[in-house]
Amino acid sequence: MASTGETITAEAAPQKVRTRIEYRRFNVFHRWMHFLVFVSFTVLVFTGMPLKYKDTEWARWFMDLFGGVTAAGVYHRIAAIVTVFYWTAEFAFMVVMLLHSRGKLLRSPGSLMPGKKDLQDMIGMFAWFFGKGPKPQFDRYTYWEKFDYMSMMAGTVIIGMTGFMMWFPLWFTKVLPGVFLNIALVIHSNEALLAMGVIFIFVHFFSAHARPESFPLDKVIFTGSLPVEHYRAERPLEFARRVREGTLDEVLVEKRITWKTYAADVLWWIITAFAGFCAILMTAFIIWSVFD
Amino acid sequence: MTRLRYALLAALLCSAAALGFAAAAAASTSTAESALNASSNDACFHCHGQQDVQNRTIDVGGRQKSIFVNSGVYDASRHGKLACTSCHIGFKPGLHGVDQTQAWLVTAKLTACNNCHADVFAMYRGSFHGNLVFGESNGKAPVCADCHVAHNITPPDTPAFRASIDSLCARCHAERLKTYLDSYHGKASYLGAAKAAVCTDCHGGHKILPPSDPESKVSKQNLVATCAQCHPGANENFAGFMVHVDPQSPSSSFAVWTFYALYIMLIAVVFTFALVHTALYINRGIKDGLYRRNHHG
Repeated sequence: MASTGETITAEAAPQKVRTRIEYRRFNVFHRWMHFLVFVSFTVLVFTGMPLKYKDTEWARWFMDLFGGVTAAGVYHRIAAIVTVFYWTAEFAFMVVMLLHSRGKLLRSPGSLMPGKKDLQDMIGMFAWFFGKGPKPQFDRYTYWEKFDYMSMMAGTVIIGMTGFMMWFPLWFTKVLPGVFLNIALVIHSNEALLAMGVIFIFVHFFSAHARPESFPLDKVIFTGSLPVEHYRAERPLEFARRVREGTLDEVLVEKRITWKTYAADVLWWIITAFAGFCAILMTAFIIWSVFD
Repeated sequence: MTRLRYALLAALLCSAAALGFAAAAAASTSTAESALNASSNDACFHCHGQQDVQNRTIDVGGRQKSIFVNSGVYDASRHGKLACTSCHIGFKPGLHGVDQTQAWLVTAKLTACNNCHADVFAMYRGSFHGNLVFGESNGKAPVCADCHVAHNITPPDTPAFRASIDSLCARCHAERLKTYLDSYHGKASYLGAAKAAVCTDCHGGHKILPPSDPESKVSKQNLVATCAQCHPGANENFAGFMVHVDPQSPSSSFAVWTFYALYIMLIAVVFTFALVHTALYINRGIKDGLYRRNHHG
C-alpha cells in the first residue's frame, strides 16, 4: 500500500507544499450531519434540562442566559426543526445507500447494522479489560459506535414524537386521549436524560475524548480524514478488507498541510473543548441535583 | 339695616358654603377612597408601626400573629389611602380590649371587604372557601385578607401578584402545588413565563368550587371551556390531560407511572453498563500505557 500512497503524493503535490496522505473516514455528508446533530443537540439539552431541573439554581441561570423561559422555548423548537431535518436527511441517505448497494450494505462488515461479531467483540473487550486476551480487532464501526448511532436514530423518533405532542397538543388530542400528553412529558423528559447521559458522558464523549485511542479528542468527524497509519491501527479489519478488495484508493486523500490546517486544528480544539466543558458541567449539575 | 342685611347675607353664604363643604365631605367619605384623616392612621402606627411590637402577638384562629404593621408597605399598597378603621371598624386609639379584638376577628374582619367589593365578595361567599368560613365557621379557611395580604394589597392583575398565587394556595394545598409545578404550566410559570396558567386560571379566584360541583371551572361540564380560555379548540380529550399527576406514584396514574418506571430502569441499566465499560477501558488504557502513545494528527 505504500506504493499507492507514493504515487498520489508524487502526482498531486506541488513543490514546497507539505502534503500528507490521509484516510478519509467521513465524507462531507457525514460531517455536515454530525455538525447539525452537534449544534441542535447542544441547544436542545441546554434549553430543555433547566425545565426538568427547575428547582436548581443553575436552571434559572441558564434560563437567564437564554433570555427567559419563553425565549428558551423558541430556541428549543428551532433546534427541534433542525433535528427533524437532519434525521430525515440521514434516514433518506441510509435508504438510498441501501437501495444503491442492493441491500449488500446491510450485510457488509463495514455496516452500522449490529451483528454476531459485535457480541463477540464486546465479550472480547471485557476479556481484554481484565487482561485475559488480546484487544479485538474492529471493522469500520465498533459495537459502541453502532449503539451510539442506533440509539440516537431511535431515540430521536421517541423524543421527537413526544415533543411534537407537547408542541401541538390540540392537534394530537383530536384522536389521542389526554393522558398521552402526561405520558409524553414523562417520556420526553426521561429520554432526554438518557440521551444526554449517552452522548455527554457514558458513550459518545467517552469514545471521542477519553478512550486511550482518541484521548484527548478524536477530531476525525470534523476533519473527515486522519493519518493512514492511525486508522490502520484503529480499524485494522476495514483497512485489510479494503486492501483485499482493492478499494483503498477510494478513501485515500491528499491533505495539504498549511498554516490554515494548524489554525483550524486550534479552533476546533477550542470549540470542542468548550462544548465538552459545558456538557460535563451540565452533567455534573444534574448528578448533583439528582443526589442533592 | 344695611349692616344687618350684609350680616345676614354673609351668614347665609357661610352656612351655604359650610353645607356644601359638609355634603362634599360626606360624599367623599362614602366612596371610602379618601376617608382620611391621615392623622388617624398615625395614631394606629404610633403603636402598631413600631419595630418593637413585632414580637407582640394575638391569637387568630389558633395561630399567633404579630400586631406589627409596616406603615411604609401599607401606605404604598393599593389601600394605602384608606383609614385603618375602614376595615378595623370600631377600634379607637388606646389599648384595645381582648374582647373587642376577638369579636372583630370573627365578625367585621370576615365581611369588611364587602363594604366596597360587594360583587366579588358575593362570589367568594358562594365558593368552597366562603362556605368553610361562613357555613362551617372553620377558623383555618382563607378569608379575603389571607390571599390578598391584608396590609399589602396589590392589584391582582400585576405580574407580582400572579407570581405569588402558587405560594398563596400552597399554604393549604402543598401537595397540589408540587404536582402543578412538575406539570408543563408549573415549570414554565416557576421559571418566569408570565402567560403560563397559574392555579386561579383554571380553578377561578373568588368562586373556587370542588370539581364535583357542576358550577366549578374544573367540573366535567366546564373543564373544556376552561382549557379553551388559553387553548381555543380544546376538546374532551385535551381536557383529559391531568395537571395534578405524580409520575412517581402508581396510585396517581398507573399509565404514567408505568412509563416513568420503565425509563428509570432503562436509564439505570444503560448508565451502569456504560459506566463499568468506561471505567474498565480507562483502567486498561492506563495500565498498558496507551495514553502515552501518539494521538491523532
